[in-house]
Amino acid sequence: MITDLIAIIRDYWLLLLIGQYPNGPLGGLANTLILSALSIALAFPVSILLALARLSKWTPLRWPVTMLVYVTRGVPLLMLILWCYFVVPLVTGTDVPSFVIMLTTLVVYQGAFLSEVVRAGIVSLGHGQMDAARALGHSYLGAMRFVILPQALYNMIPSILSTFVSTIKDTTLGYVINVPDLTFAASQVNNQLLTQPFQVFLILALVYYALCWSLTHVANRIERRIARRRAGTVSATISETAQATKMITEQP
Amino acid sequence: MNGFDLSAILSNPEFVSMLFHGIEATFIIYVGSWSLAMSLAILLLGIRFSPLPVGNSLVAAYVSYHRNVPTLVQLMLWYFGIFTLMPDWLTGWLASHNAEVIFAIIGLGLCQAAYFSEDLRSGLRAVSPGQMEAAKALGHGYVSAMRFVVMPQGVRNALPPLVNHSVSLFKNSSLALVIGAPELTHAIKEIENLSFRTFEIYLVGTLIYLFISLLIMAGGAYLSMRANPAVGGHA
Amino acid sequence: MSTSANEPRDPQAIRISNVCKSYGQYKVLKDISAEVSRGEVVVICGPSGSGKSTLIRTVNRLEEINSGSISFNGHDIHAPMRTKELNLLRSRIGFVFQNFNLFPHLSVLDNIAMSPIRVKGVPAAEARAKAVKLLERVGLADKQNAYPGQLSGGQQQRVAIARALAMEPPVMLFDEPTSALDPEMVGEVLSVMKSLASEGMTMLCVTHEMGFARDVADRIWFIDAGQILETATPDEFFKNPQHPRAQRFLADLRH
Repeated sequence: MITDLIAIIRDYWLLLLIGQYPNGPLGGLANTLILSALSIALAFPVSILLALARLSKWTPLRWPVTMLVYVTRGVPLLMLILWCYFVVPLVTGTDVPSFVIMLTTLVVYQGAFLSEVVRAGIVSLGHGQMDAARALGHSYLGAMRFVILPQALYNMIPSILSTFVSTIKDTTLGYVINVPDLTFAASQVNNQLLTQPFQVFLILALVYYALCWSLTHVANRIERRIARRRAGTVSATISETAQATKMITEQP
Repeated sequence: MNGFDLSAILSNPEFVSMLFHGIEATFIIYVGSWSLAMSLAILLLGIRFSPLPVGNSLVAAYVSYHRNVPTLVQLMLWYFGIFTLMPDWLTGWLASHNAEVIFAIIGLGLCQAAYFSEDLRSGLRAVSPGQMEAAKALGHGYVSAMRFVVMPQGVRNALPPLVNHSVSLFKNSSLALVIGAPELTHAIKEIENLSFRTFEIYLVGTLIYLFISLLIMAGGAYLSMRANPAVGGHA
Repeated sequence: MSTSANEPRDPQAIRISNVCKSYGQYKVLKDISAEVSRGEVVVICGPSGSGKSTLIRTVNRLEEINSGSISFNGHDIHAPMRTKELNLLRSRIGFVFQNFNLFPHLSVLDNIAMSPIRVKGVPAAEARAKAVKLLERVGLADKQNAYPGQLSGGQQQRVAIARALAMEPPVMLFDEPTSALDPEMVGEVLSVMKSLASEGMTMLCVTHEMGFARDVADRIWFIDAGQILETATPDEFFKNPQHPRAQRFLADLRH
């Protein structure tokens, strides 16, 4: 059993690491990481815009975004992938690589999720901060930029990290539209070997475990550090909401 | 492609029947895996609170594995991997009894149990130690204090994350598509292949998922309100 | 605009005329009219829930009103105007909150210097130098680099006063500045307010500190159930209150 695992890793480690590259598209673990990192990097600014739109007094701005958030909360990611697979080529008018479709889906999905975290972070600051900034003559956007967002976003750092871990797990769903990631590479290995599916998928599970476990570990350490810093400077209400926001993002 | 036409889907008895079979399978997978997850979560919680240190670290390892490995990979490992290692009589029996649905229930249920048990645990830990002391001072024993004072508060604390994770589980039931279970997303893809009405059938599917998710959320909100009338009344 | 806001076109710094405000059916302010002249210190007192805080928050339009008008140096604060204009007016009215509302992510120095830099466009070095001077003035020169969470309530409120002063407002509003403080810290905040008054600052203060009212105020407004029932000098008010409800209010305080 153990020897089987070692043999598979010895024969296929490069395929699992980078896919068919350089003879084909980049794939494997490398592509999983690139896809996840790009998704979060793009979803983060999107989430701030969505949160501001949801907090806006202007209904034509608030309504569609609220609907988007509820759709992403209530509809399976798989269904959203199918939607993007159908809609993105219609919009662009050309064939789009599955990587781009998966990226679009994840940016929308995680952007909507994170926007709830941003919104909760802003709401948790209470009216006092906005009142104080307005009383000093700041405009609404100025108050957001210099007073509200710096606090809300700093409190959000742990949530962003845990969302990154969620995103890595979510990229596996790209399998359905043949995104060349780690899961796809493993199923290619399985198709070549045919006789050792348990060993192949066990390796796959272990690789994801090592990756997500270590990132979660890092995230927890950063969270503790932030909590310590916050304990010195900010009242306890914010750490309570950090708990609440964590709840929103934690999902399998 | 013709213009938007929902009736092309909804007035075709074959498609409607496929949709209902999909909803039925999704429902079986959801209820089955939810019940499995909740019973297992309570068992895991019991082991956590038992005095055996080995039990505690075993549960911690269980939770860690199921939270750090993607659900889809867990399903693949069960269906493509473990299924093939089973003795022939069991494989045969499973194959003739909707193996895909059974493995979807097992895979999703075992995974979700890790989340449910952590929700319950942090809910219990949020109950202040003063509650236990007060109950003991009034003459309750440990079990009685747990049963009448700590547990009710702990479950109430755990309700919001439990509801969130119940919605996640419902959404994740669509992953059963990958191991070939004939659930709702599977039905949607098949109807798309037969009708070429991609937009219409995706819209119908999205609305069905959204409706049931909102129903679960509303149910959770109702339970929270019942469990905590003072807060619910003001909110 | 920025120069015209300075121009003393109206002998009264603040002129409140026939202000009404209600939350749904509940009338918070009922036809209030009053003035604060330049250099005057006015203390608003009255039982809790009487509308004092709501009234002072309408003066820089943190609360909207249903009818009437409030003018500041001749500018109608509640007139329809561009938000830029309102922000500029607000920057010229200092406001001190009951709960300080310092910005927890900024150091004490940056709390004071940030708004002059971002709102008024003061060069950073100049704003920081000014902030240091203001901190000396409120007796906290050694706390420049501390964060608000590391300060006591009294220290936080003194920073909040310095922050408001940094915008160089001709008028300062105080909304129960000592109500959230432990008793031993009330004095340090009141003494900063006293020194401000002695320098001729126009001040409108909601407070329960009757000692401060007696020693510092030029006039007292007694407000109850959304109406100003009595305006008087501290001498008249404490020795010989006219309105029965003012008499009961003072009697309750003595118990």
